[in-house]
Amino acid sequence: MYVASVDELRLKFPGTDTLLFEDVSVSFTKGEKVLLLGPSGCGKSTLLQVLSGIIPHSLDVPMKVNHIRIPDNWGYVFQDPDSQFCMPFVDEEIAFALENIGVPREQMKERIEQLLQAVDLPVPPHTNIHTLSGGMKQRLALASVLALEPDVLFLDEPTAMLDDEGTELIWQTMKRIAHDKTVIIVEHKIERVLDFVDRIILFNDAGEIVADGEASIIFRLHKEFIASQGIWYPGVWEDYLQQKKKRATNEERQAIIRLHEFRGYRKKEVKIHVPKAQVQKGEWIAVTGKNGAGKSTFLHALMKLIPTNGEYEVDDERLAQTKQLARKIAFVFQNPEFQFVTNSVWDELAYSLRLAKRDEQEITEKVEEMLKRFHLEAQRAQHPYQLSMGQKRRLSVAAAIIGGQKLLLLDEPTFGQDAKNTFALLELLESYREQGTTIIMVTHDEQIVKHFATRRWVIENGQLVRDEPVIQEERGRRCEIG
Amino acid sequence: MRLDSYRETWLHRTNPSVKLLVMIGVFFVVLFLHNPNVLINLSVGLLLLFFLYTGYPMKYLVLFFLPFFVIFVSTASSMTFFGQGTTTWVRWGLVHITKESFFRGMHLGFRALSFALLGLIFSLTTRPVYLFYSLMQQLKVKPKYAYSFLAGVRLIPMMIEEFQTVQNALKVRGADGGGIVNKMKRYAVPLLSQSIRRAQRIAVAMEAKRFSDAKNRTFYYQIGVSRYDVIFFVWMIGLIGLSYYMATVFPYFPVTDVR
Repeated sequence: MYVASVDELRLKFPGTDTLLFEDVSVSFTKGEKVLLLGPSGCGKSTLLQVLSGIIPHSLDVPMKVNHIRIPDNWGYVFQDPDSQFCMPFVDEEIAFALENIGVPREQMKERIEQLLQAVDLPVPPHTNIHTLSGGMKQRLALASVLALEPDVLFLDEPTAMLDDEGTELIWQTMKRIAHDKTVIIVEHKIERVLDFVDRIILFNDAGEIVADGEASIIFRLHKEFIASQGIWYPGVWEDYLQQKKKRATNEERQAIIRLHEFRGYRKKEVKIHVPKAQVQKGEWIAVTGKNGAGKSTFLHALMKLIPTNGEYEVDDERLAQTKQLARKIAFVFQNPEFQFVTNSVWDELAYSLRLAKRDEQEITEKVEEMLKRFHLEAQRAQHPYQLSMGQKRRLSVAAAIIGGQKLLLLDEPTFGQDAKNTFALLELLESYREQGTTIIMVTHDEQIVKHFATRRWVIENGQLVRDEPVIQEERGRRCEIG
Repeated sequence: MRLDSYRETWLHRTNPSVKLLVMIGVFFVVLFLHNPNVLINLSVGLLLLFFLYTGYPMKYLVLFFLPFFVIFVSTASSMTFFGQGTTTWVRWGLVHITKESFFRGMHLGFRALSFALLGLIFSLTTRPVYLFYSLMQQLKVKPKYAYSFLAGVRLIPMMIEEFQTVQNALKVRGADGGGIVNKMKRYAVPLLSQSIRRAQRIAVAMEAKRFSDAKNRTFYYQIGVSRYDVIFFVWMIGLIGLSYYMATVFPYFPVTDVR
């Protein structure tokens, strides 16, 4: 007997020309752990929503199905940690789920504590959700879903917005709690999922099932297909590094940034302190550290978006205002959408140039060059909001750097991106670096630090505590540092 | 400034629905009060309640109170300076202070002040979560509306954070200038699109957790009526009674009706 199944599903989003699914049939038995794999936009998340009844119950999408079986008791964990809670405190959020299924009030306190323990979230129950990290929020989401006592769990990219540590903890928790449950997963970061699932269903661009079977076999047989879809699989970095060209050395030794007793303030408190540091031209500095250590604050201080004091020179100049700094430094924010100011990709790129009053001929040339370089030629007339995740990210970088700045600050630019887009972006950045651009980038990804950065700055409790060269393995020697 | 650094007083323990209804009652009393003597007494009583029993440190209370004090002064003075009247006290260009306009000005100022105090006392001593639980339990508001509001309350700090991010992003791109319409558009589009999407996702997530208007819902917080509600009710009635009594025995002004 199947716990969940659809037979000949046809589904189409209003406003699109083609069917997302055409006669797709799939079924799941009790206790199975299944991973749905496929390129972005092939409809895996939509399938989860159909299987759980969210479509058409909560989201009205036209669909037709021969036969469907929706599990009696299911739970759904969504991708975005910030938009699945409706209450301000941890205990209240879990209680919300308990209230919905009519658990008596006297039992709630105990249940809440058990659930927090089950997902390894060691916080006092009455904690403000706002103060939790992304990984903790996702474990809370899992706890409130478990409160429903589901037989089937739907996980819709639960770790897409999490760092390595958060991802690891989610899957550890899953392994502990899910042994008797059916789990259906959509995920792009599959390194830690592979030893959890026993079945993989592979989709192609057209939303068709190309393979369905035992996890290890599917993974081995279809590895090339999986790799081409931008999925983070185990060994993706090794495969990538084999085809990556050797890095050109950059021997320029000229300081572009000098910092001495530099401090940044929020609400009159010192939030970032750099005793002494220098950045040389052509370096790629990875700024690392725990959540909330002050990495983003550091970038904000460099851009003077927050009050600062101490010595800070860019190109031997002391600049007081964000406006002046923006001529020398390009800044890319974590969420690209907040940076877009126009209604088309083309205008977005042209924006800074027009602001600088360059002549139209030059603008056209420059924009065309950027469209080509960042692979956005086909999207030139689209609204920036209509682009895919990877395209939005590329556009935000292109639009930031089009003014010809020699210094680029990026706040976790690869966050939530698939493997294909991540490598494409890193290569673009590397090509800029080779031409002499200096990069300072906040990241959580150790692999990026190891293979792309030339130097690592570690920030702890609002202080730059370590400044060390990154040893490039391919070259087998220390790279040039200042 | 941390808004959660208060000590809990008996005002926090009153039932939010009772508090709300009593305060609406007082609101109407103030609205139809025309004797400035009574109103001044009443305002002083509310002021005491505000400073003694909301449980916040004096520093914050003064800060919260300041903008409303400005409103008090501006309302009172504009009515006093420019209002109509027959018994002239001072005439100086446009400014024309009469006995009637002075008393009306004072009266309006104190009315604005007591409205502000009622609102401040209520919002400083009521957690939104308790308010909506109480509304569902005592006033039978549908969970659908109560939880929608609660989800909305959660969105506000996120929107403030996003507003700052957009501000920074626009500054960096040199797009922080321009006319007011342009500026509005630049802030509104990303903030609204983000909020709408988030609201929809939260709604789906709530339904995915079996949220519905079904009858068998239980409640994590049982909000009941207690002796504190009686105290609060008596306090307010007593305050109104005492205000009237004092106004007749020790009036500040010989005026009993400012109309």
